[in-house]
Amino acid sequence: MQYSISTSFMIPTWKRILSHPKPHTAFDLRQNTISRSSLAAGYRQAQQELTKAGPNMVLISRSFTGFLTQLSSLTHHNAFSVSAAAAAIQKMTRVRVVDNSPQGTTPWHRAPRVIHVYTKNGVGKVGDRVLLAIKGGKKKALIVGHKMPGERMNPRFDSNNVVLIEDNGNPTGTRIKVPLPTHLRKMEGEYSKLLAIASRFV
Amino acid sequence: MRIEKCYFCSGPVYPGHGTMFVRNDCKTFRFCKSKCLKNFKKKRNPRKTRWTKAFRKASGKELTVDNSLEFEKRRNIAVKYKRELWSKTVEAMMKVEGIKRKRQAQFILNRLKKGKQLQKAEDISEVKKNIHLIKAPHADKAKVMEEKMVQKLQEDVEMGDN
Repeated sequence: MQYSISTSFMIPTWKRILSHPKPHTAFDLRQNTISRSSLAAGYRQAQQELTKAGPNMVLISRSFTGFLTQLSSLTHHNAFSVSAAAAAIQKMTRVRVVDNSPQGTTPWHRAPRVIHVYTKNGVGKVGDRVLLAIKGGKKKALIVGHKMPGERMNPRFDSNNVVLIEDNGNPTGTRIKVPLPTHLRKMEGEYSKLLAIASRFV
Repeated sequence: MRIEKCYFCSGPVYPGHGTMFVRNDCKTFRFCKSKCLKNFKKKRNPRKTRWTKAFRKASGKELTVDNSLEFEKRRNIAVKYKRELWSKTVEAMMKVEGIKRKRQAQFILNRLKKGKQLQKAEDISEVKKNIHLIKAPHADKAKVMEEKMVQKLQEDVEMGDN
């Protein structure tokens, strides 16, 4: 059974560069992605040629894909578990106060805990207000980052960060050293005072 | 707009791609794709993961010290806008990119030359070891013996003449 796979895309990069002494006429910032897409095109071409070659080759390719799935299942067995960040902020979550307010910084035998989330569902994301139980009292706060991965273009933080707030929305502390997400600016709500005391954005 | 570098594989992260993770010491990690993110979560060291640029540079497989690579370093100083500077920088970028690629390619070529030498030496030693597969061990002996006998006979004849 005669079959040929075009190997033109399998030339290593260094060889390709040295065999074409012509300088690049049009500079393309996406040079890296172009080479990758041409690779993908080459692989697609190879696949097409494989399917053209006949039933024998299809069987071989099927067994190959089966082998691949076996491999992937093997890797799932070996993956160890990381601490779960399953849900965003809800009742009873322990939270990290991130500003320099006295209530947030002085030590207490119990971590500050969320006792109410001011949303329609009880789940709090960045920009939502919550009620905290802090140092034996109640205090409102604003969520500025959570462990749960949200939208892809927004950063994920390593802890559930919160800024203490008064009832009228003014922050209690005077400085926030921890980086705040930039999509807070675009959110509807009065966050201007919070953004003013923040020192770093991410 | 800035094209960032993936923390794990050192590839480019274009706007609209990838994810970002902020650690509690305020260090940000950008990833170009979920493959890099997953490896990071598994606590893999990019300097030991063979397919990353960090590994290749750390193990000397790619060009590390070069003038053309100095242009890539991040400068945190804001530059006042000047039109000529802008256009000249774009031209310079094209040239530097070309030079950098050639140098990187040459580096790899030089690195692989050693392999060709070693391969040649190996081939020679292999042929010497297995010469019995090509030529019988005493193949030339008969011919050499014959030549020696002829030479001796000639000498005897000369001696006899004298």
